[in-house]
Amino acid sequence: MAPLYYSITTEEQNVSLTILSKSAFQEFVARLLPHYRVVGPVPHDIGYSFEEIQDVTELRMEYPTTILPPKKWFLPPKETLFKFTRKNGGVIQDPPETPPTVILGVHTCDLHAIQLLDTVFSSGQYDVHYMGRRKKTLIISIECLSPCDEHSFCKDMGTLTADEGYDLHLTDLGDSYAIDVGTQAGADLLQNYSSSSVATKEEIQKLNAVINAKWPKFSYRLDFDVSELSSIMELSMKSPLWEELGNRCLACASCTNVCPTCFCFDVKDEVELDLVTGQRVRNWDSCQLDDFATVAGGHNFRASRALRQRHRFMRKGKYILDAHKHLGCVGCGRCARACLVNITPVSTFNELYRQQETGSH
Amino acid sequence: MVTIASYPQMQTGTIMDRDIYAPGLGTIVNIRPLTSLEKVFTIQLPEGQSLGHRPGQFMEVSVFGIGEAPISISSSPSRSNGTFELCARKVGDVTTALHNLKVGDKVGLRGPFGRGFPYENFRGKDILFAPGGLGLAPLRSLINQVLDERNLYGRVIILYGARNPGELLFKDELKAWSERDDVELMLTVDRGDEAWTGNVGVITTLFKFISIYPRNTVAITCGPPVMYRFVLMEFIGKGISEGNIYLSLERKMKCGVGKCGHCQINNIYACQSGPVFPYKEIKGLEEAL
Amino acid sequence: MSSNGKPKIAFFDFTSCEGCQLTVIDSLQDHPELLNVVEIVQFREAMTEKGEDYQIAFVEGSCSRASDEPRLKKIRQQAAIVVALGACAHLGGVNALKALHPLDEVRKYVYGDKADWYETYDARPISAVIDVDYAIPGCPIDRNEFISVVKALLLGKKPPIPDYPLCVECKLKGNVCLYTKGQVCLGPVTRAGCGAICPSFGASCEACRGFITNPNDNSMREVLIEAGLTVEDITSIYTMFTTYQVREKIQQKG
Repeated sequence: MAPLYYSITTEEQNVSLTILSKSAFQEFVARLLPHYRVVGPVPHDIGYSFEEIQDVTELRMEYPTTILPPKKWFLPPKETLFKFTRKNGGVIQDPPETPPTVILGVHTCDLHAIQLLDTVFSSGQYDVHYMGRRKKTLIISIECLSPCDEHSFCKDMGTLTADEGYDLHLTDLGDSYAIDVGTQAGADLLQNYSSSSVATKEEIQKLNAVINAKWPKFSYRLDFDVSELSSIMELSMKSPLWEELGNRCLACASCTNVCPTCFCFDVKDEVELDLVTGQRVRNWDSCQLDDFATVAGGHNFRASRALRQRHRFMRKGKYILDAHKHLGCVGCGRCARACLVNITPVSTFNELYRQQETGSH
Repeated sequence: MVTIASYPQMQTGTIMDRDIYAPGLGTIVNIRPLTSLEKVFTIQLPEGQSLGHRPGQFMEVSVFGIGEAPISISSSPSRSNGTFELCARKVGDVTTALHNLKVGDKVGLRGPFGRGFPYENFRGKDILFAPGGLGLAPLRSLINQVLDERNLYGRVIILYGARNPGELLFKDELKAWSERDDVELMLTVDRGDEAWTGNVGVITTLFKFISIYPRNTVAITCGPPVMYRFVLMEFIGKGISEGNIYLSLERKMKCGVGKCGHCQINNIYACQSGPVFPYKEIKGLEEAL
Repeated sequence: MSSNGKPKIAFFDFTSCEGCQLTVIDSLQDHPELLNVVEIVQFREAMTEKGEDYQIAFVEGSCSRASDEPRLKKIRQQAAIVVALGACAHLGGVNALKALHPLDEVRKYVYGDKADWYETYDARPISAVIDVDYAIPGCPIDRNEFISVVKALLLGKKPPIPDYPLCVECKLKGNVCLYTKGQVCLGPVTRAGCGAICPSFGASCEACRGFITNPNDNSMREVLIEAGLTVEDITSIYTMFTTYQVREKIQQKG
């Protein structure tokens, strides 16, 4: 069902919808460049990647998906947490300043994932590294008007649209973008760097038409409603499916490394060749790797690939939701694209559902 | 701005300007070898700060350049006196480096982390400790806490097992406990030697020697992963209720702050919700035992 | 230790192309400060002096004849730490390919009518002859990894050689998977640590760093068959650098 969040009568409802022609958008980005680090989807090999751009022509706002999600700009694959000296054992906190950043073209699935990561790193023990970058970043997301490819299942996961989490949100109206303002910072950005205009009645009608037209283009791929996922997972601990997945799984960790909601990490010390100074670094880790749960004494608490796949899907379908009130899977399909042995969330979730319906375990 | 971090105080709530991953510093003021593999490090915090820990909690200990490792606190809050003790087995890079340090050297410290033993709730009850091997290290913190306020508790029974006599930890204290009238201590080893005259067998072989009043007994265990199921069966077999059984579980606590994912037991982060758990809380978790 | 307190290290070569030692020289050009923390006492490829007093021995090359064994054993006796340098020493490497053919045939093919003059046997990793403490994998080794291994050894720490698949490094670099482009790659079973250098430049991984501890070989084979490879193709790609290991595995299975 299409969410009708734009009223036809702007005057009465004070809707913050503005319009930027495509050429004005190009100009807007060009004006941002001297003041912000601007990151957006750019072609990379035969795919796309979120990279810093130097010129607006590098941008591809209509891109299917990227190999890595935009999370790498908040949680880099490898980062220095602090430096130290071994001589007097001192920590030297000298964090590099994150430049003010604008990330453009974030799909709504990734936007949902960023909201989860924001919750993870700001709640409980506050992570200054992630949040430091996050707070310096404005997100300009874009409404998806057609599925990335056959692996997307954002419609099932409820991430085909977003009503928060962005500073500005674009919808492509053909020769212009309708811009929904999400935050004051987004409004200021628009005000300071663009020549946008308030949407006319016709433009709002056009937006409604575009939104209405998009929903049928996305199909449901789960055989059940996503609200049931958590309870399906809860009942699936002993499913024979895990053993089957474990037999196929290469334990290459590609699924988690491309996942926008995965945030597990490892921490290591690196030392310079003076053997005195060094840094403690954090890098992405994966629960799919052999020794992820191995303690120093040698015991591996998740020794089989089957148990590791189970843990991964439990996190995606249940644990993360329980802990953070956001689903751990946003339906982006990246893991399905990356898996060489066709282990996918859709087939896994559907099979678990089927097993429960037929009582086959 | 360059700042040298001072020791992070125990804080509650969300602190937005402190780096939760940056250790403060402590100084090693004493090193006591226990066996060929274990040493006890006495560590002093700057400016006489108290660690403010609870028995069962752990620290993340850094040897800069080597890395960071979780080590349980082995001393009791009742004996803190501006210092605390860590008992470390030389088993990985960090603990090997720690074993090479000398008195006066500094280590990086974060913590204390996790949920310890709710010992206030144990007052008035009998306590049955059943540590195995290195599992005595965290339980020693609680045992000494209990012994330092001995009159607040009922019986104190300690069943301790190690692989061989050489691996028994804290032998001087074991001797002192065995000489007390108000502590019932029984030792066992999987394999004895010529000098060993005590019980031979795994820890569960000791249970037949004790009789307890189950309704008023709290039972506590910590040891190698393989031990828990068997000791639990003994506890339950003695009629101790699931709410009165406490387990301290070992996991790979990497960050200590519930983020990095390594210590997860199903949906639970052992570094935050544990390492001490009442059995009834984790009984339903497939990955717990 | 030398009188200046610096650990003494030495380099040795057996059956190899000496490319790994060249990589060491290369890394010394990037990191001359390495010489502030170690003293090199023997390095035929780079210097004429030849000291026999060393604590760390880096050995390049596989052992491919019986008469190499005493020399290896002598190195083992002297060095506190022996490190296999590169695929030949670590795995047997491409030299081990000759085991796929009768030894006499190989000898005739290589040495012609002088074949009888040359002694040879199946090439093997040096760990088949002596105890090896650590291995720096790769053909050739990665220059940064060499430096990080030296640093770890000097700090008394286990060298940080990854035991996870190459796919991890490849994904973190944001590469398009070679399978997506219709190529095949042994990344899912190969030990990472090279920064996925070959796939990053469009070339398939051929497992020069050897396999991870627990590869899913069956699943990997199915992926390769699905990608259109024949059983012979698979044997050929699997044995490029790891003939010795593949044969050992087959022998273990009986």
